[in-house]
Order: sequence, then C-alpha cells, then structure tokens
Amino acid sequence: MPLTLAQVGQINAVKRIGGKEEVRRFLNSLGFIEGSEVMLISQNQGNVIVKVKESRVAISKEMARKIMI
Amino acid sequence: MAVKIALAGNPNSGKTTLFNALTGSNQFVGNWPGVTVEKKEGRLKDQKDVTITDLPGIYSLSPYTLEEVVARNYLIHERPEAILNIVDGTNLERNLYLTTQLLELGIPVVVAVNMIDVVNKNGDQIDTQQLAKALGCEVVTISALKQTGIQEAAALAVKLAKQGQALPPAHRFSPKVEKVLNAIISQLPAEIPSEMQRFYAIKLFERDDKITAMMNTVPDVGALIQKAEDELDDDAESIITNERYNYIGSIIRQCYTKKNQSRMSVSDKIDSIVTNRWLALPIFILVMALVYAISMGGWSISIGTMGTDWANDVLFGEWVPGAVDAFLQTMGVGGWLASLIQDGMVAGVGAVLGFVPQMLVLFFLLCILEDIGYMARIAFIMDRIFRRFGLSGKSFIPMLVATGCGVPGIMASRTIEQDRDRKMTIMTTGFIPCGAKMPIIGLFAGALFNNSAWVATSAYFIGVAAVIVSGIILKKFKMFAGDPAPFVMELPAYHIPSASNVLRGTWERGWSFIKRAGTIILLSSIVLWFLQGYGFVDGVFQAVEDNNSSLLALIGNAVSWIFYPLGWVGDMAWKATVATVTGLIAKEEVVNTFGVLYHYSGELSEAGNEIWTLIAADFTALSAYSFMIFNLLCAPCFAAMGAIKREMNNPKWTLGAIGYMCGFAYVIAMIVYQVGGLITGETPFTIFTVIAMVLLAALVYLLIRPYKESRTLEVELKETAKV
Repeated sequence: MPLTLAQVGQINAVKRIGGKEEVRRFLNSLGFIEGSEVMLISQNQGNVIVKVKESRVAISKEMARKIMI
Repeated sequence: MAVKIALAGNPNSGKTTLFNALTGSNQFVGNWPGVTVEKKEGRLKDQKDVTITDLPGIYSLSPYTLEEVVARNYLIHERPEAILNIVDGTNLERNLYLTTQLLELGIPVVVAVNMIDVVNKNGDQIDTQQLAKALGCEVVTISALKQTGIQEAAALAVKLAKQGQALPPAHRFSPKVEKVLNAIISQLPAEIPSEMQRFYAIKLFERDDKITAMMNTVPDVGALIQKAEDELDDDAESIITNERYNYIGSIIRQCYTKKNQSRMSVSDKIDSIVTNRWLALPIFILVMALVYAISMGGWSISIGTMGTDWANDVLFGEWVPGAVDAFLQTMGVGGWLASLIQDGMVAGVGAVLGFVPQMLVLFFLLCILEDIGYMARIAFIMDRIFRRFGLSGKSFIPMLVATGCGVPGIMASRTIEQDRDRKMTIMTTGFIPCGAKMPIIGLFAGALFNNSAWVATSAYFIGVAAVIVSGIILKKFKMFAGDPAPFVMELPAYHIPSASNVLRGTWERGWSFIKRAGTIILLSSIVLWFLQGYGFVDGVFQAVEDNNSSLLALIGNAVSWIFYPLGWVGDMAWKATVATVTGLIAKEEVVNTFGVLYHYSGELSEAGNEIWTLIAADFTALSAYSFMIFNLLCAPCFAAMGAIKREMNNPKWTLGAIGYMCGFAYVIAMIVYQVGGLITGETPFTIFTVIAMVLLAALVYLLIRPYKESRTLEVELKETAKV
C-alpha cells in the first residue's frame, strides 16, 4: 500500500520507490532504499513525516503516494 | 606550507557550527563560481596558512543537485590536501553514505564523529578504532557545539594534508560488483591517477555523464554494465547504492552499540504534536503571532518597536542631529554644506537605520526558530497550502523573512533546490509588505481612512493575494509550467539553540539591511537633497525655496503622465510620482518625501501625522489607495533589486522579475482605480476604464484557465555548474 495510508507509529519496510529519477535518488541518499524500515511519525493532509534510519524525512503527498510499503 | 582542507558533511550534521568554531571571524563569504551557492572559506585559528573551505551540505556525491555538483567539482579539480568529513554520530548509518564516496577520491580523509556527547548520553557506543579500520581512514570524536575534540580533529587533518598520502579505501562491495569494477579499472586510460581509479570506475559504472564528459578518452564499458545489470536484476546506480548501504550496515554492526531500542526519540514525539494534522496550524499561528508581537507589535512586550521608536525619536531624532549640529558649528561649517550633511545625509540614513532594532529582533527570533529546527517544520506545514498555487513549502521561509526586510528574504530563497521554484519565489517575495512599507500604509490609513485597521490588514492581504495570483498565473506560462518539485526534506533533530549560531545568523541578515544605509541610501539621499533643493527660477539655476520649482518637480511633472490611468491627477500627480521614485531608494523614503514636498519643516513622525490634512486635501480615498497598492507591489528598493540580481544571477531574469513586479503593480492599481471609480462614481467612463476592464478580464481568464499538461521535471543545473 502507499505510504500515505500507513498508521502513525507503525513500522513498515519499503517495497518500492516510484516517481521521478532525481527524487528517488535523493531519497536513496537519505537512507530511503527498498527494504529499509520506515516509521510514520506524523501525517498532515497527506504530507507525511517518516523516520528512516535515525533521520526524519518530510515527504509531500504526491511523492508519498509513489512509495509502496 | 599552505594547505587547503575541505569541510564536508550532510546538512544538519553540525558542519556550520564546526566551521565557525574552527575559523572564528577569519571568514570570507562569496559564491561558488557562476552559481548562487554560498561559498565560505576561512583560516584556521592560530594557523593562518591553513585554509578551510566549507563545502555545501550534501548527502552524496551524485550529480543531481547544484550543491552536489559544486562540491564534487571542487574536490576533483581543486584537490584539497585533506577532507575533514563531519558525520552525525546519532545518525551514523545515513552519514557514512557520503563518507564512503569521499574515501574513493584518493584524498586523505579525517572522519569527525560529531555529537558524541549526545551519543554518550543516550548510552550508545561507537568503537572508533574499529570504525577507522573498517573505513580505512582516521576517525575522531568531537562535539562541535561544546567545542570538544575539534582542535585535535583539525590538527589531524592538517597533519594528513602535509603528509599528502591517502589510504586506499578499505571498503569493498560484493564479489560480483568488485569483479565488474576491476574490469572497468583495467580499461581506464593511463591519465587517471591510481588513487582515483576506483572513483572513476564507479562513476563509469553508474553512467555518470558529467564524469565521462571530463575524461579525454572514455573506455567503452557499456556491455560490462549491461551484463552486471542483467545478472543482479537492477539498474547500475541502484546496485551501487545498495552495495554502499550493505557495506555500511556491516560496519554499523561491528562498531555501533545501541543501548536504547525505543524507536520514538524526543524529536519524534515533538514532531507528532507540532506537525499533527489538527495542532500544526494553531501552533504555527501562535508562534508567529508571538514573533511579530515581540518584534513589531505595539505592546509592552514589543522590544523591537520600542527599540525602533527610541532610534527614531531619540537617537536619530535628537542625539545624532544635535551632535552633528554642534560639530558643524564648531567647525564653522554652514550654508549648503551643513544642509547637505544634516538634511541630506543624516536625515536620509537615519530614516533607514531607525528600523534596525525592529529588524534585529525579528531576525533574532527567526534565527532561534531556525536553530531549534522549527523552521523546517514550518516549510512542511505550509507545503500543502502553498502547493495549491504552484509554490512549495520552502517558498514560505523567504516570505516570512521578507516581512522584516526583503533583502534577506530574497537571499533565503537559496535553499530551494529547483531552479523554477526558486525563480518564482524570488519574483513574488517582494510583494510581501516589508517593515519599510508600513509607514506608507500608516500615512494613508491616517490621512484618508480615519486610521482604520482595515487598511493595514488589506495591505497584507493584497501582498499575500499578489503572491497567490502570481503563483497561479506564472504557472500558466511555459517557462514555469509543471508541478513544483516534490517536497522531500530532511527535518533536523530539535535542539537547544546555540547562542553563537543565532547571533551570527541575526547579524548576517541584519547586516545586509544596515549595509545599504551606508552605501546606496547615503548616495541617493545626497542626490535627492540636491534635486529638491535646486532648480531653475526665471531661467537661472539656483537654490530654491519653493519645492515646486525644484529639479525634482521638473522631473516629476515630466513623467507623471505615466500614472494618469492610476488616478494620480492634478496637484498631487508629480508629488506622488516623485515619492514613488524616491521609494525605489528605500520605501521609507516615500513618507519623508511627502513631508518635504508638503513643506513640512519639522521632524516628521514615522507615519507622517503632521501632513495628514494636506494629503487628505490632495488625494481622494481611491487615488490614495491606488497609490498605496502601486507602491506596495512595484519594484522593491534598490537594495532588494540588488539581491534579486545576485540570486537570479542572470540579467534577463533580473529585468524580467523587476518588470513583472512593476507591470503587475500597475495593472492592479489601475483596475482598482478605474473599476472602483466607476462603481463609486468618482471617475468618468473613459478609454482607461475600458482598458482596465479588459485587463481585469485577462487576469480572471489567466486565473481560471486550466493548466497545460505538466511537463517533465528536470533539475536545471546552470551551465557553469556543468563540468
């Protein structure tokens, strides 16, 4: 399911990252790769904040929809 | 021996704090050649022959953002003698991703594990010896904030730089990938030095075209890459990314012992409240209300306003003019020279400097918000709202700063990575009413609108509406079409603000405001003083008593026809025109100019209460409002135009942005005057009414016209950034 549907506090493994090349690469360099565990910290009208490794990453709805968990 | 050391690390890793601690005040700030990425260099304290270059904060050395390209080019072409790589110890895994890439460059690297105090406090352990062995470089632990271990880290980097011998990177990928990389290395041309072979091999494997463009001969390794991709069932870049993380994962298991397994840190808990879907906006509004109450409000907590009142009334109202007066008298200076110094220079510069206390308090509070980490959350919260009209949440911070002063506001647009989003932000930030525009609002609110609070409120509303309308309209043009770049941003951990960071940030922003007082405003005050004090009387050039015969009136009268459709007619036309022109020097000059033009001889209060009746006699409510709108929206002051020029870094875009603002201001003021006048019966139906109607229709059409199919997004790196 897309990341936008995750529950706050839940830990999920990233299955697939879609979207544009550059954004995907940027997420990669932030530690956001397929298989990494992410936890949803906050949700605000579809925009999400997730914790990956030890950092918090804010992702807009458009992008979060393309991340499958 | 003079050595160069590059400071590299992720954003939010404490890099700036370390840089400031190492170099103190020996810093030079500039831009990287050809791009608007800030370049900071400094000399190491007590060791003047050591130059430290602060590279932009980056997450990797891939070629996709301006910062990455700038950092990479510097490392490849300038080849500093050593790299000091600062990594965040509380987030080792992510930070080492960059480290593994830096190690491939064949430059000696010292890894400084920062925030070791926090790591220890959490009860976690980092085995630095093991880490050094696994990475194949020196590793030290530091706390940039508490300034522990930083001298040792710098000394080690200097030592390595002077030895000039890089250790070969110890990290190895899986056998299959290593086999391909070795095959590529064997085909590399001889010009590649042996210590950089691994870097080039990996970049060739990743099909990095910016690196191949740098090489004289590029070996044909397409088949090798294709084969590896088929074998590993992934694209080459992802293969390398995964290999890096696998390798880092294995290091972390050897060197890092985590005590606490709880997944929710303090920052996470704070975030779950302040970015929560219900509480985010109320908390944000509360915080902002507090910031503006303290800096600009009119209450007993409003330190900023008190400071500005004091500066205006006492410092530049009595003390400085008094002292200058006394000085001039003792020196025996009188006549035109005394007038030039007192009425031209002191009055002009003083009017601007009076705002400094308010600015400093505002910037101080914003810097605190930034250092705590709340600013990044504001961008996140505002993103959903801003996205509706084609801007991203990152555009909000420049606008927030611009409510104080447009110059640092426009400069704050640098953090927006995408070229198109950044340009749109620069073009629209100037619409936000800055501190210097407030007196204009105060003047007309008092003179014609009975001091109604609605006038000031509507000014902010017009500013925000101008941003929104511009966002929507500009998006309909080809050069801005497409959605804003997806918002992906790392949110730093919350921490207690550091005094030195906040003070430094406040000063840097405040200084950009103060600096113009000494330069452009001083110069233009002199010019203005001359133009309004001299003129032709009976064909003879001389000092004039009556403003109406001054050179300024001559110029004003000659060009005031331009503003005829805006309702600037009759006696006030040239005065309004001149005030607008002086407003280009600094917006606070507008009120002063009216003071001079209406022959008010005493010291004018900030909102010009003394000339309210004179203004009310000359202006109608509608023409006053049209004047106000034009001055709020048109080209900002010279200092802000300078900032636009610097940030656009392109003469065409600079002119385009300024032209757009003036055009937009003209159109809106004209529509308000003509259409408004038709409704109230103040203006007759003329050709300008028709034009205003047509413009209004065009505006509405642009607003509701559907968007064109969005085009592909490309991160446009400016020409010079390419290798």
